[in-house]
Amino acid sequence: MSDGAAEELAQETLIAVWRKAALFDRSSTAPSAWIFAIARNLRIDSLRREGRRGSKAAGDVEAEFVVDESPGADALLAASQEDRRVREALAGLSEDQRRVVELSFYQDVAHADIAEMLQIPLGTVKSRLRLAMNRLRGLLADLS
Amino acid sequence: MTIQHHPSELLLTAFAAGTLDLGAHIAVATHLVACAECRKWWRTLERVGGAVLEAMPLARMSNDALARAISRLDLPLEAADPDIGVNSAALDTIPGLPEFVRKYPVGEWKFVAPRLYKRAIHVPDPGDTRVFLLRAGAGVRLQPHTHTGTELTCVLTGSFSHDGMWFGAGDIDLGDSDISHDIAVGQDGDCICLVAMSGELRLKGLRGRLMQPFVSI
Repeated sequence: MSDGAAEELAQETLIAVWRKAALFDRSSTAPSAWIFAIARNLRIDSLRREGRRGSKAAGDVEAEFVVDESPGADALLAASQEDRRVREALAGLSEDQRRVVELSFYQDVAHADIAEMLQIPLGTVKSRLRLAMNRLRGLLADLS
Repeated sequence: MTIQHHPSELLLTAFAAGTLDLGAHIAVATHLVACAECRKWWRTLERVGGAVLEAMPLARMSNDALARAISRLDLPLEAADPDIGVNSAALDTIPGLPEFVRKYPVGEWKFVAPRLYKRAIHVPDPGDTRVFLLRAGAGVRLQPHTHTGTELTCVLTGSFSHDGMWFGAGDIDLGDSDISHDIAVGQDGDCICLVAMSGELRLKGLRGRLMQPFVSI
């Protein structure tokens, strides 16, 4: 994605965050995760529109990430404490592991490209990411 | 009955990151409808995405970026896309599909082989992946096959077994060129699956090779 397109998306994200602010539910997620999801969905939407030059509907990306219609939000979470645990779990990964996790969330690239960027074999990218995610899961599986 | 076959960590991470094509996305979402455990972990993965975002170095934007964004706040909202869904209610009797999938237009049930039918789901951004429902009668044994691409199958109702493993509602199964699929549908009634498939299916054995031209999955 070009710098210009990234900046456009950043602006759209800011606007969406502003407009949707009243919908944000602190008890169900972290602000950073909420903003991440908005940016992710806008990016998918923009890639689709670009791909088909606006000729067809791009679909409703936000709806595609709604699969849980019955949030069991009966208990308010100790949300800020949980955010801290996520940050700590990430910080506890090795530098190599953290790098592949970052790349899989924030680079518009396939695992094969990550392998090339980091100059490691494709199998290593996958096993490193798998190890990193397993480690995170071990630390964070109890979060809701 | 508990779910035994979950998407891999890599698949679920890609789902949360938004990097799957829509077909694979739909297969994972279908699993998530049934699986509270993966739903929970997916939510945590989005928090991981947020935490990574917070920790990333700042990028410089053009000087007037903020001013331009703020001025755009006053513009009227762009009209949303006309609803792509025709919601023919065709999928309403199929259990376990995510809500957004029910809105997609669908084809008719089409004959594939005796007691085996498929029904195309027309997704708005198919990429290389085709999405369809597959319905097989109780006890049907599929012709052994492999895949040239990848196939994600999520069971909606009924069950099948493959390589000594049992797959019931909510279970997700991955097929690719390394995996030989030799599938037998359970005796507990019709099995309906949601399938997201890229590439082609290759039947195995002499009988399979003879049948290949007639089978379009």
